[in-house]
Parts: sequence; C-alpha cells; structure tokens
Amino acid sequence: MEALAAARPRGRRWTNVLERPGVLASVLISPAVVFILALVGGPLALAVYLSFTNAIGGSLHGKWIGLGNFRREWTNPAFKDAVWHTFLFTVISQAVVLVVAGLLAHALLKKFPGKWLLRFLILLPWAAPLPLSLMGWTWIFDTTYSIINWTLQHLHLASTVSPPQWLAQPRLAMGSVIAVHAWRIIPFATVIFLAGLASIPKEVDDAAAIDGATGFRKFWSVSLPLQLPIATVALLFGIVFTATDMAVVYILTNGGPPPSNATEMVTTWAYKTGIESGSLGAGAAISLFLLPVLAVVAIGMLIFARRAEVT
Amino acid sequence: MASSDDPSRREGRYDRRELIRRAGAAGISIGVAGSGFGQAFYGPLRFKGRWLKGDLTIIQWAHFVPAYDKWFTDVWSKNWGQKNDVQVHVDLILNTLLPARAAAEAASGSGHDLFFNLSPQAQFEDQVINHVEIVQEVQRKVGKIGGLAKKATYNPKTKKWFAFSDNYVPDPVVWRHDYWNGVGIAPSTWDNVRRAAPKLKAAGHPIGIGQSAELDSNMALLAFLMCFGAYVQDAKHRVTIKSKHTIEAVKFMADIFQNGETDEIFGWTPASNNNFIYSGKGSMILNAISATRTPEDLGLPFADQLYIYPIPRGPVQRLGLEHVMGCYSIWKFAQNIPAAKQFMADLEINYKDAFLASKFYNFPTFPGALPFKRIQRLAAGDTHKPRGKYQILTTIAQKYTVNPGYPGYTNAAFSEVFGKFLIPKMFAQVSQGKMSAADAVSAADHDFRDIYAKWRKLGKI
Amino acid sequence: MDAVLRGFREKGLSYLIVGPFAIVLAFPFYVMVITAFKQQRDFYDLSHSPYWFHKGATLANARFLFNQTQYTTWLRNTAIIGGVVVIITLLLAVPAGYALARLSGKLGQSVGVGIFLTYLVPPTLLFLPLFSVITQLDKQTSHLLHFHLRGSIWSLVLVYPSFTVPFATWLLMGFFKTIPRELEDAALIDGASRLGTLVRIVFPISVPGILTVVIFSFSLVVNEFVYAFTFISASAHRTLSTGVYTDLIRGDLPQWGAIMVASLIPSIPLALLYNTFLDRFIAGFTGGAFR
Repeated sequence: MEALAAARPRGRRWTNVLERPGVLASVLISPAVVFILALVGGPLALAVYLSFTNAIGGSLHGKWIGLGNFRREWTNPAFKDAVWHTFLFTVISQAVVLVVAGLLAHALLKKFPGKWLLRFLILLPWAAPLPLSLMGWTWIFDTTYSIINWTLQHLHLASTVSPPQWLAQPRLAMGSVIAVHAWRIIPFATVIFLAGLASIPKEVDDAAAIDGATGFRKFWSVSLPLQLPIATVALLFGIVFTATDMAVVYILTNGGPPPSNATEMVTTWAYKTGIESGSLGAGAAISLFLLPVLAVVAIGMLIFARRAEVT
Repeated sequence: MASSDDPSRREGRYDRRELIRRAGAAGISIGVAGSGFGQAFYGPLRFKGRWLKGDLTIIQWAHFVPAYDKWFTDVWSKNWGQKNDVQVHVDLILNTLLPARAAAEAASGSGHDLFFNLSPQAQFEDQVINHVEIVQEVQRKVGKIGGLAKKATYNPKTKKWFAFSDNYVPDPVVWRHDYWNGVGIAPSTWDNVRRAAPKLKAAGHPIGIGQSAELDSNMALLAFLMCFGAYVQDAKHRVTIKSKHTIEAVKFMADIFQNGETDEIFGWTPASNNNFIYSGKGSMILNAISATRTPEDLGLPFADQLYIYPIPRGPVQRLGLEHVMGCYSIWKFAQNIPAAKQFMADLEINYKDAFLASKFYNFPTFPGALPFKRIQRLAAGDTHKPRGKYQILTTIAQKYTVNPGYPGYTNAAFSEVFGKFLIPKMFAQVSQGKMSAADAVSAADHDFRDIYAKWRKLGKI
Repeated sequence: MDAVLRGFREKGLSYLIVGPFAIVLAFPFYVMVITAFKQQRDFYDLSHSPYWFHKGATLANARFLFNQTQYTTWLRNTAIIGGVVVIITLLLAVPAGYALARLSGKLGQSVGVGIFLTYLVPPTLLFLPLFSVITQLDKQTSHLLHFHLRGSIWSLVLVYPSFTVPFATWLLMGFFKTIPRELEDAALIDGASRLGTLVRIVFPISVPGILTVVIFSFSLVVNEFVYAFTFISASAHRTLSTGVYTDLIRGDLPQWGAIMVASLIPSIPLALLYNTFLDRFIAGFTGGAFR
C-alpha cells in the first residue's frame, strides 16, 4: 500500500486534471473516436452524398437527384428479392450458428481425451483466411468435380449425368451459401459462448448444485439466463457480419444462379449496380438501405441484452 | 543492337571468344531488325522515343497462358523500357476484379497509366483520354483498324475513342469429335446441335452452353441470338431485343437445354465449361482455345479428339462474337500519357510476338499488324492433332466475328446490359420454364429500355 | 460404479456432440490437403477417387507456389499488417473500452452504441471513398515520407483499424465491466492515481480480454478482402487473401493445387495458435477476478 502511495507520479497539476473522471474519460476515448470519425464517418458521409446523386463510373460527384435512386430501387423487384434473400440468409445461418455453437460450447467445457485435437479441428474454419477457404468450397461444390457429387454418385444416390448442382440450382444454392457461412461463423460463436460460460462464477455453479439443479434444469434456469447477454451480443455480431459481408456469396455464386438470382444479397446487388455496372449513386443508395435496419436491430438487441443482465 | 560504349571495341582488340560473341550478337540484331522489331521505335518525329523518361504503370489480366505474361513482362516490356528510357511496371490481376479496380482508380483520380479490361468500358468515357492518336499512329504503320475494334472502342455520338484495343480472341465451338461421330452428326448448324443434343446426353455426354451470370455465357448467348437474327440494339442504338427472332432463339435454346444439357449450366464460372471438357464429360462448348491448349499441356488422353469449328449456323446466319477483347484505356490523370500511347502503338505494330507468345489466343485488332495469311501459315505449323486445326481461327476471325452490340457500337448502355448478365437471365427464365418466351423477352426489353434511356439522358448514346 | 457409468455417459455425450461437428467443420481442409498434393492429371480425372491419390502425391504444386509466385511475400505482408493493426487497435481500444465501461455513465452508453453503429457500415460502401482519402493523403505525404502510401501495405494498416477498433472497444467495454469496481476503489483509497490504477491494477487482470481482442482483430485482418484488393495492385505488396485469388487464377484456369497449398499454410498454424490462446483466456476468465 505504501508502495502505491509512494508511486504517485510527480507533476501534480497535470495529473490532478487527469484525476477528474470526465477529463480522463475524454482523453482515453478521443483517439478511438477521432480515428473512427476520420476513417468511417467521413467516407460514410461521402457515400450518403453519392446516394442522392446520379454519379456514374468512378467519379465521386454527380447531379443531385434527391430520392431518385431510393425510389427506383424500392420498386425494383431485383432489390426486393435481394432484401428477402439477405433476411433469409441472415436469420437461418445465425439460428444454425446459435444452436450449434451453444451445443459445442457446453460440450467443450468438460475435459475429455482428444479435446485439444477436436477443438483444433473446430477452430480451423475460423483460422483459415476467408477467400482461401471459400476457394476450397468452390472446388467442393464444383459443377463437374464436386467431391460431394462423386460420393453420392458412387453410393448410387445421384445420377452421373445430372447430379445435384450445389451452386446452380436455386434452393440448393441458397442452402449451400447458408451452410458455408454458418460453417465459417460457428467456431467464432463457440469461442464467445465458451468465454461466456467460463465466466459464470463458481458460486453460481455451487449454488445450483446445492439447489439440486442439474442437467437440463440447470441449463434452462441457470446457464441460459446467465448466458443471455453474451449470447445476444454474439448473435448481434453474427447478424452484422452476415448482413454486411459479401465475400461468401460473391465468391461462391456471385448472386446467381440466373434467372431468379436466388442468392443475390443486398451487398452483392449494391456491388453489381455500383461498381460492375457503373451506377455509383444507385449502388450507394442500396448499400445504405442496410444501415437503418441493422441499427434498429442492433439497438433493440442491446437493450434486450442489458435488461437480461443478471447481477 | 551493338553498343558504342563497348569497352573491347574502344580498346580495338578482340580475342577469339569476343569475336564469336560479337558475331553472334550482330547476327541476332540483324535478325531482329529484319523482323521489324527494331523499326518500331523510330516512328515519326512526334513519337520519337528518345525524350520519354520516367515510369509506366500497367494493369492487366492474368493471361490463361502464363508464357504470355512472362513474355509481356520479361521480354517485351523490358526491351521496350530500355529502348525508351522508361521503367515499365506490370501488375496482373484476376479479370473479374478489373471493374472494381477501375472504379476505385477513377474515383480517386489516381492509378495506372494503362488500364486493361476484357471488354470495352464505355462507362468510363469521361475519365479517359481520346485514344485517337494511337489509332492514327498504328494505322500509319500497318493499315486501317479492323471493323470489330472500331465499333467496340469508338463512340460515334461524342466522336471519341474511349479505349485502344490491341487484341481480340476468336470464339469457336470446341467439340469432341469421337462423341459426335458416335451419333453421326457434326455441329455445323444449330439445328444439328439440337438434333444431336438428346442423343449425346443419353450417351452421358451432354452439351454445355452456359446460362450463368458470367462472361462465357454472355458471349455464347449473344452470339446465339445473332445466328437467329436477334439483336439487343440496332445500328442507331435503339433497343430491338423484342422480336420474333429473339423468341424463336430463346425457345430453341430451351429445347436444347431440356433435352441435351444439365442444370449445372446455371451455376458456371468462366472456368466451368473448360472443366466440363477436361473431365471428359462434355461434348461441346463455346470457348476460346484455352479449352484445347490446356488438355494439350496436361496430356489428357482425348486432346486429339477436341476439334474446333466456327459457331454453328442458325436459320438466319452464322455470326459470332469475340470471346474477349483486350481494351486498354489511359486515364486523363495518368502520370505518363506519352509513354502509354507509345507503348500501345509499338505493341500493336509488332503483334506477331504477342500472337505467338499467347499460343494463337490473341489476334491483333489491326489486321495489317499480322495479316491473316501469315497467321494461317503459323497455325499450319502447329503440330497438335488434328494437324492444322487452329487454321480455322482465321476464317472465324475474318468472317464470323463482330463486336458486342453489333450492328451498333459497343456503348455504355450495352455494356451495362452485358455487365448485369441480363441476357443469360432471359434465357434461363425460359429454359427453366419460369416464364414463357414472349414474357421473358418482354421483360428483358423493358429492362433494357430503362438502361438505354438512362444513358441517352447522360448524352452518351 | 454409478459414478463411472455417469462419467462414461458424460464423456460419451461430449464425443457424440463434438465429434461429428468437428468432422464436418474440418472436412474441407481434408479435401484441401488431398488436392494440394495431387498431380494435375490425377486431379482432372473423374474416374479415380478424390479422397486419395491415384497417381501418387507430388510437391509440384507447392513448388509452383513458392517459386513462381510471390507467396512468401504475401505471407509476410499479411503478418506485418496483422501485427501492426493489432497493436494500433489495442492502443486505441483499451483506453476507450475502459473509459466507456467505467467513467462515463449515460453519455458513455450512447458513445458506446455510436461506436458500435459504425460497425454496421459495409465495406462495399466505404471502399471507394476510402480509396480517395488514401490517394489524397498520399499526395500530401509522399514527399515527407519518401514513399507512396497508396499501393503500399501501410494504406491497409491505416484503414483496417476502422473496423477492428469499434469491435475491440465493444469487447473490452463488456470485459472491463466485469471487473469489480471494488478492486480499483481499493487502490484509489490507498492513494493511487486513476491513471496509475489503470496501468497497475486493471490491465494485468484484463489479459484475457486483451488476448481475445488480439485473436479477433488478427482474424478480422487476415480475412479482409475488399479493401486489400482495392488499395493494392502490385503483386509484391499483396496480402494472402488477395494474392492467392488474383494471381493464382489465370483467365479461366485456376491453379487449384497451388491454391490449396496456399490456403493450408496459414490456416494450420493460426488454428494451432488460437487453440493455445483459447485455454489461456478461458483460464483467465475463471481464474481471475472470481476466485
């Protein structure tokens, strides 16, 4: 204790200012805030501006057309489909992730032989750089050389000439994209759940044991409520990751297959409109659509998480 | 080219080894000069290479023939750079990523001097220079530009050359001679293809004309439409997709799909139809000769059975598109515009080397740079079986290859239709039975008109 | 006997749950391994099983990757970018997370949510304006720095924290909240300054949280694609994610063998690393503030 007192730094006036909570807080927060404002806020403002213009090609200005882009996309069936697909994609993949990650996290809490190796295998999808593992998946789903089809054909479960086309048949394509995305997020979610489970204080465990709560009852009335805040946050991150990320869909199907474009998401549609077709303003408008939706979802979930916090 | 700074010459003494080396070098330089390689660098005064200094940055696609890229960076660019006192930097990139990269460079006002793409990028017209000087310089040396390139890179409305195309790639059908022999038909007409398709599929070897959102499908289906007399636009750039020809073509392709193809054609990437052939499963695709060169390189057992034909004849005509065409643009904000122009001109004037390095893949857009007769002779020398199979490429190039957007020019509106893969979408709707042919064509017509109206308002067509 | 049976049942349940999922999750990597060492001719031949080699394994693909491409450079670039971005993230996010968790009450909540909201902006929207920003910055600074920011890996180092910092701040905010105030109050009462408390008491306990941020940020960086390929076009400056995708697909011919080798080489060490860290920070969670 004396050591601490003796360690009080000199230069009183300077440190006294820092002693005031408000000042210290601002000093600590400002680097992050400044950085984010500069590198996200600025470009975001520019993108918002673009969405109200008819900018084309790569130029960063165009003629002001007000809500023209938004109105046109709102009535565009391609856009509406993209929104629906994004919703399906996000909800289903995250539901899968939630269930699987929850199960895995519980199972991984205990010790058992081979746990380290199994955990290593589970972490692989997350450790692999995404574009590279996605290329592995395109090979697994390849229209001619798919290993899945080869297996099915040799088990006489699929025709040699017309096997299932994992990325070319609309429902299968959506399923494949959802599966791959879930595959990629599951390790990440498992880790977050593990951390949450591990942070349940031992006293709670002991109390539950004293009360005779074991197995499922314990899960339902003790573990689950305690995990809710962290599960909600994990789910929230998962939703945000999924809705704003276009890598999986872009590399696997590029929004196809035609004509229904069953896997077109808001992100890939924005990319196609804004970059590949050159209608920059429209592309910006489409991307922006996600923002308010996600913000509402995020705020809602955060409020829920806070209320669910058990102290 | 002997250097006057050579120390042994200054000293006036040669030992025997040195003499032989000098003789060899002289022989090579005479040969090179004789081939016209050297002369390119001494054009008219305006383009004299001596006063060019600095750097030249180029970005282009990774050619499917690695030898071409090696030649381009290690031989051609290096030599050109030395002659012109310019350091040439070449960046290679996957072709599907070029549009995004171009958008980024245009947006930031900073980027490579020479930007390559596999199709004309008319939407960047305002951000690039007028490439007319390069065209004029090359025409002065080797003769007029081919019609294909002119209609692909020139905007008649604004009278601007918005790109310089150095090469195009003819698009043949590649087919398995042994399988087709087995059903006793050859793919010389689309009618033959339709007749053969069910038989080939029954034998386990379906046809593969893609209907996916990718480049190969786009090209194949657009060419297919032309064979039936159907066009996206006319010479005056009015949308003409809605016609009985289009409806007939779409129904015809649906027939081929239902009887002779499998679902996979809706999920293809540019590599997929190649794989279709490499696995031995496919019996016919529409693709450039990368589909025959790779089996040769890999030593696949049926490489000799892969034949090359022009696009099959339709009820109206036999007409196809190029598979891809190399289009370089120079940004207005490029750092070294004079060097960029000179580089392009020299590359085109000396196209024989590029043609050979690309294994006959790249054809020059100025026929005079490498006349078709010469190309045929070179192709006749190719030893892969059946012998001389690559000679048909000249016939295809001369007679059956037009620009995307024919009979009009490749303008920004057409490029957008192309970039959004609306043609494969139209075909897929009918092939999958989701819409009737008439409805699908009407829907496409509606979409196209929207796009054309937009670009017309912007004054580009 | 009862206990032994129960032990078996619990362990069995664990295997039953974890086993199948582990197989499914790792299956693509098995395919990658086989493809990486398969000969090209074998690879295109459908008549042989894709689960094993028919014509014998080969190192040709690996050799192609290391000799004919700039793979090692990409590995190095990714490692450098990852390391520096993690450091920057920690420098920005740890103080911010602490401040938001402790000192700012209601305003803190809003700022925290605000920071999180920036995370919702998709990179597909930002990459064009950001590229412009980098170019402008490059024009101003290239004389001072004697090198071009644009097209170098440092442009990514500058931009990546824009998505790692919000995420990290959030994580750390939540984490710092779980550290009981009593610890800090005790130190303050004993005469330490706020800053001192931060450095001497709080940070050592937050090692698990910091480790989490390190892992998560690094993985975000390694996976990033859109910015990497927009900002950098020269092969020598590419990162793993862009280099493999752009340089190993030539026209319509992807070099699958080399691509698979390229994918395996970072994945396995990273997974090993994460697996090792995982134990530590879980132990930290349970062994730290709650004993």
